Order: sequence, then C-alpha cells, then structure tokens
Amino acid sequence: MTNTVTADRRHFEDLVVGEVITLGQVTVTRDMIFAFAREFDPLPFHLDEAAARKSLLGGLAASGWQTAALSLRMLVDAFLGKVASMGGLGFSDLKWKQPVMVDDTITGTATISALRRSRSHPERGIVTLQFDIRNQNNDPVMSMALANLVALRVPDAPLETAL
Amino acid sequence: MTQWFEDITLNAPYPLGAHTFTQAEIIRFGTLYDPQYFHVDPELAKQSHFGGLVASGWHTVSVGHARMVAALDAEGERLRGLGEEPGVSGPSPGVNKMEFKAPVRPGDIVSYTLTVTGKRPSNSIPGWGLLFNTIEAHNQRAELVYRAELVGFSKLRDYKMPLRLRLLQALTRVPGLGKLLRP
Repeated sequence: MTNTVTADRRHFEDLVVGEVITLGQVTVTRDMIFAFAREFDPLPFHLDEAAARKSLLGGLAASGWQTAALSLRMLVDAFLGKVASMGGLGFSDLKWKQPVMVDDTITGTATISALRRSRSHPERGIVTLQFDIRNQNNDPVMSMALANLVALRVPDAPLETAL
Repeated sequence: MTQWFEDITLNAPYPLGAHTFTQAEIIRFGTLYDPQYFHVDPELAKQSHFGGLVASGWHTVSVGHARMVAALDAEGERLRGLGEEPGVSGPSPGVNKMEFKAPVRPGDIVSYTLTVTGKRPSNSIPGWGLLFNTIEAHNQRAELVYRAELVGFSKLRDYKMPLRLRLLQALTRVPGLGKLLRP
C-alpha cells in the first residue's frame, strides 16, 4: 500500500552522511516564553520578569524544552517534512549551553552524522542528526544528536547492500 | 528535588502523577512544534505505520517536565506547611539520553516516575551538587512510553564557602572592581 503523503518525498536511500541542513530562524518573544512556561515549565524565571532578573539566569529566559521544541520545528520545516519520516527514536547528549533570553533569535544547522538500517524493521532506516543551535551573536545555545526513522523507498532491499 | 542534596536517597522511585492526552492538545502541540502529518492530521495519520494520530515525543516529554515541576512544588509546599525548609533545585545542564519506546495516542493516560540514580558535588559550581535522574513514563497498559536520563543541580545544605571564595565574592560587590572580577 503506497503512502500518498510521503510517496514523492526523499527516502532513506537518498540521504548521505555529511549533508548539512540549514535551519530557518525564530525570534523567541515574551508571549511565546510565557505560553510555553505556563503549560510545561511554570518556574519564576520563565514566567515573571522581575523574579527572572533576580535569578541565576539574570532575566526572562525560555524553558530549555522550548528551545528544543523550536529547534525541532525548524528541522521539520527544513527536512523532516520533506522526507519519508516515521517519527523519532530519541536523542542523546542534549546540552543547554546558554539560556535563550527574551527576543533572542535562534537558528543553526543539523548535520547527518550517521545512517543505518534498522535490524528489527529492515524497511526502516535510522538517521542521526547533530544539532548546532546558535543565537544572534553566534553563541552556541544547544546541541544534541537526534535519531529519527526514515522509510526506505525499496523496503525489501537486502540489508547487506544498504548503507 | 525537594530534599536537600545530602538527604536524597538513591534508586527510590518518586511518582510525579499522570496526564491524559486529548486529540486536541496533541494537534495543538504538533502544529506549533512538530507539524509532521502523523502528529497533526488524524485522517492522513492513518497512512503512517502508526495507523493513526500520535503525540510528538517532545510533547510527552514536555508534559513529563510539567508533572515534575508540579509534583516537586506541591511537596515543597507540604514541607513548608510542616515548618521545614525544602531543598533547592537549579537549572539543568542537559539530557544524556532519551528513548521514545511506545507512541502516545488520543485518550492515553501516561504516568511519570522520577528516580535519582546517582549524585556528586559539582566541580564547577561551589555549593551545588549534581543529580543523575531517570524519568520513566508508562501508559495505562503499563507499556514504557519513554525513558530519560537527565542531569540536574541541587543545592548543598551543609556547604561552607572557603574563605578565598567569600573574599572574592565580597570584592565583586565593590563598584567598578566587580565588573573586572566577574567571569
């Protein structure tokens, strides 16, 4: 059965290690920080500007989870929405290097660092993407290695001939 | 944690509560942060190997974080009510590992548990300790939804600042000089 959503997209066979995906950019506003924090991270330094100024962070900052979610959004727009993605497997070595402060603009790259076939589901490939997210001053704010499933165009290709 | 670093028991699971995922909130989160068709469109999602709409892994993780903040806040309030001063948590430097194991579908009830598996005093920040935390999420069928290994800061109760650092801190409060001394 053909998946009409992903039929014309890039598949696992089309990806190469070393491909650098240039992400778009997003400016993190006060309203965005408040909206995310109210639902998912209601700590004073994400919700209250006066309290935030007195905190370790020195001002209103986005939740680290919001920085991660916005980075993912940029990856969906630039890459995952254009390949036959089958969802995420997880990630490793997520590092919040610097807080994202109100009105900061974040952007960055995601580089394909590894490609391998799934052993339990040979019709699926696993792509590893190394994120390098930076703010408007080019300071690194977050890095991580994300593992995502991408379907093969030829699902029964022998394992040994594949990457 | 609401306990002080020195009092935290290792490998004792701490329940953080549960959350029921509705279709509306799955789509709302997906639309903002992870607009892949199986997170935002119930009809198209039927074509995916999931066979229907599923929550973004980042959504289930963000809800897990919210549960943790709420549970620790409530425990802190309870301790204050008893006249005790709860321990202090700091920001997290990162996540070592996150594994998404089972999809979350509309109507699923996900329960979260926090376990501290290791701790040591911080080398970089005097007066604070590092906690190695594992968060596990299970659905109503007791299937593992995700497992995360996170690092967090926790304030030491019994810490006495060395004289050298106390002097340095006092000097940073001197106008003009402070700017030069701060990293």
